[in-house]
Amino acid sequence: MVATESRPVHGTPAVRAKISAGRGNRTFRIVNGVVLTCVLVVTLYPFVNLLAQSFSSEQAIAGGHVNLIPHGFNVTTYRTVMSDPTFWVNYRNTVLYTVVATAIAMVLTTCYAYVLSKKHLRGRGFLIGVALFTMFFNGGLIPNYVLVNDLGLRNSLWAIVLPNAISVFNLLVMKAFFESMPSDLEEAAVIDGLTTYGILLRIVLPLSKAVLATMVLFYAVSFWNSWFSAFLYLDHNNLFPVTVYLRNLIAGATTGANEGASSDTALQVAANIQAVTIVLTVVPILTVYPFVQRYFVSGVLLGAVKG
Amino acid sequence: MDRFTRRRFLAATGGITALAVAGCTTHTPGSDPDAGNLSGNKAGAMDKFAVGDQFKATQPLDFSIMMLSNPSYPYNAHWPFFTDLQKMTNVNLTATVVPLSDYNQKVGVVLGAGDAPMIIPKTYHPAEQAFVSSGAILPVSDYLDLMPNFTASVNKWHLQGDIDQLRQADGKFYLLSGLHQDVWLDYSIAVRTDILQQHGLALPRTWDDVTSTLRALKAAFPGKYPMSDRWSSTPPGPGANSLLAILSAAYNTQAGWNYQHTTWDQRSNRFVYTGAMDQYRQMCEFLHGWVADGLLDPESFTQSDTQAEQKFANSDSFVISANAQELVNTYQKDLAGTPGATVRKIAVPIGPAGAVKVGSRLENGIMISSSARKSKNFVAMMQFIDWLWYSDAGHLFAKWGVPGVTYTGDVNKGTFQLAPNVTWAGLNPTGKQNLQVTYGFFNGVFAYGGSTALLNSQFPPEEVDFQKAMDARRTLPLPPPAPLNAQDQQQTTLWGTTLLDYVNQQTLRFILGKRPLSEWDTYVSELKAKNSDRYVDIVNKAHQTFQQKHG
Repeated sequence: MVATESRPVHGTPAVRAKISAGRGNRTFRIVNGVVLTCVLVVTLYPFVNLLAQSFSSEQAIAGGHVNLIPHGFNVTTYRTVMSDPTFWVNYRNTVLYTVVATAIAMVLTTCYAYVLSKKHLRGRGFLIGVALFTMFFNGGLIPNYVLVNDLGLRNSLWAIVLPNAISVFNLLVMKAFFESMPSDLEEAAVIDGLTTYGILLRIVLPLSKAVLATMVLFYAVSFWNSWFSAFLYLDHNNLFPVTVYLRNLIAGATTGANEGASSDTALQVAANIQAVTIVLTVVPILTVYPFVQRYFVSGVLLGAVKG
Repeated sequence: MDRFTRRRFLAATGGITALAVAGCTTHTPGSDPDAGNLSGNKAGAMDKFAVGDQFKATQPLDFSIMMLSNPSYPYNAHWPFFTDLQKMTNVNLTATVVPLSDYNQKVGVVLGAGDAPMIIPKTYHPAEQAFVSSGAILPVSDYLDLMPNFTASVNKWHLQGDIDQLRQADGKFYLLSGLHQDVWLDYSIAVRTDILQQHGLALPRTWDDVTSTLRALKAAFPGKYPMSDRWSSTPPGPGANSLLAILSAAYNTQAGWNYQHTTWDQRSNRFVYTGAMDQYRQMCEFLHGWVADGLLDPESFTQSDTQAEQKFANSDSFVISANAQELVNTYQKDLAGTPGATVRKIAVPIGPAGAVKVGSRLENGIMISSSARKSKNFVAMMQFIDWLWYSDAGHLFAKWGVPGVTYTGDVNKGTFQLAPNVTWAGLNPTGKQNLQVTYGFFNGVFAYGGSTALLNSQFPPEEVDFQKAMDARRTLPLPPPAPLNAQDQQQTTLWGTTLLDYVNQQTLRFILGKRPLSEWDTYVSELKAKNSDRYVDIVNKAHQTFQQKHG
């Protein structure tokens, strides 16, 4: 989900008054309001529908009666799902993987981006090339699996957090942000006797809260949602994140009916169980969004429009 | 600044290619000259293991296995199934747990990476073909002498013809398939029996009866489509894939999710292209009649299962494709709120082909990783597999568990009953403990195949009636084997993808009336332009070659 935000036009009160008085601006505001409301409805509808389903009876869902308001209200399914120990073990794993992976990713991406933002660095082009190369080409599924296996990472947290530690897109956004910082600040810091690490930690990072918050959000959401690495590199269900649990629940229910498939795979997982699991999985990351969102627009834009 | 010049790039690419080529080895599948020498692989194996023997390893053994975790009963290492199995066989299974949702993908990766567990169950033929040429899996047909129960079942139930379907171009097979005593048909159509009764209609026996029933329902409910179907998202068919599958069988052809590019024509003794068969045309014509008369909802071919289920649950339609599970778990449950509503799965309607049934008696099966052959416990592993998946005792244990604990009675005498506290899929609904979730029995990884008596023990009386009706039908022989070599396989896959898309697209157009059936001949020539003839030639040639080599 990408947050969109319309911000008031800045300027002196006189200019603002003049602009807002214009008929064109009023029309724009109305159209803007209508379009954004439509976007809001379209974005929000599936969530509300899912929420309604999670509190509805299975029969009401099967009959297609559930829209925005729960039918046959019950919380039995919540109780059932929440009493499944595997669900909570997987949930704990997700939190752990997200926290550790985000921390590692932030350290590595920040260091890499800061280095790349220094124009005088020798071999800078090559280092950028190395990063960019991985954006367009990768080793492929099986070589990656062999590599992770040979490094002894399989069935450990590191298989999830290390292979995806640096996102090239995030790296480039961050690099652009650092490049936009006035070099005078750093020069002044050098004169005051700060080392490279001192400059990074005491000058640059405190001034980069917006981009850091944005990157934390990007990484945290992507690690929270990711399931493929876990599915590939982990062999025990007590190691899986909750996304694998959820995927199995949903995909398992829909891919079941296969010709000749023994009837066991055709077992249906009830629609309300799916809804409850989705709600429980989505809620935490959804609650983080509003708190980080204020950094979001300024963070990305500041990185993108460098002077 | 360093620049990654073109010359450097070419040099690097060349180097990588050279390394890659050097890393390749040529492998002839199944060509292990040492296949018969098992003297170093007998640790833990029983000296004499025969039909009727309980397998017990002479020392504690550990075998690795790919374990599919079903969301309805997620894998649990502490299931009584595993502890009892260890007590009985002295074997511990170390599981690589894989969610059902992406099982095949993981199998592909671990086999491709050469890191697969020894036992890889839950493989549906022809998925194993992808791993034959790399030598990642074992030609199990070379080791059948270690598997007395498997061999006995094949002989007793005359399954040789079915097994031949598994053979590859080298004459060997690489999948230890599950074996059924008889063809097991599960899919048919479900009808609202209360509505039929209200309008004085009998249960349809033939496809023409179904047409008359739908017509009568249409007359009674002019604003509704009497049938709105499902299973449209399952490959390889164009939609309503179960309906097309059972209807095509009645016309002696193949469609829906049973679609195969070639069908064996007994009269001409050769394979013909399925989508161009006259029977295929008749089937399209038949369904077109339904759509044209408003008997079948045109959305049947595109809608999701949920949409079709909703229409059926809301009495907007009265006929829908079904299997035993869906009948109990979905339709009967969904209609529980509708007063007086009853639903029943009818015996598969009879068509022009007569009261016949066609189908394989093979189930999904087990691949054995090539690395397992090097294990000193290889023989014991094959004996263990033979006991658990192919002996009567193994079947019974995997399916129903331990007598006196999870069940009582005898499946062969018809006295079988689940223990009072145990429930499974609608059997014994008052039981508190689920046979699969609590105990780990009736797990799709271990429990499939076996005798008809064992199969029938899992059905409620209504389904047993369905099975009896189906058992009474004559089983048609399966097509002869025509295994393709790797090159032909690649070629036919290329043609097949285009052909399948086109057949699906045109089948839908014919059925929905968007293309008149008078254009059938043009359509057949369009198929020829897309290499349908050459496809059939390759298969016929493969059939002849196989006949000459392996008789």
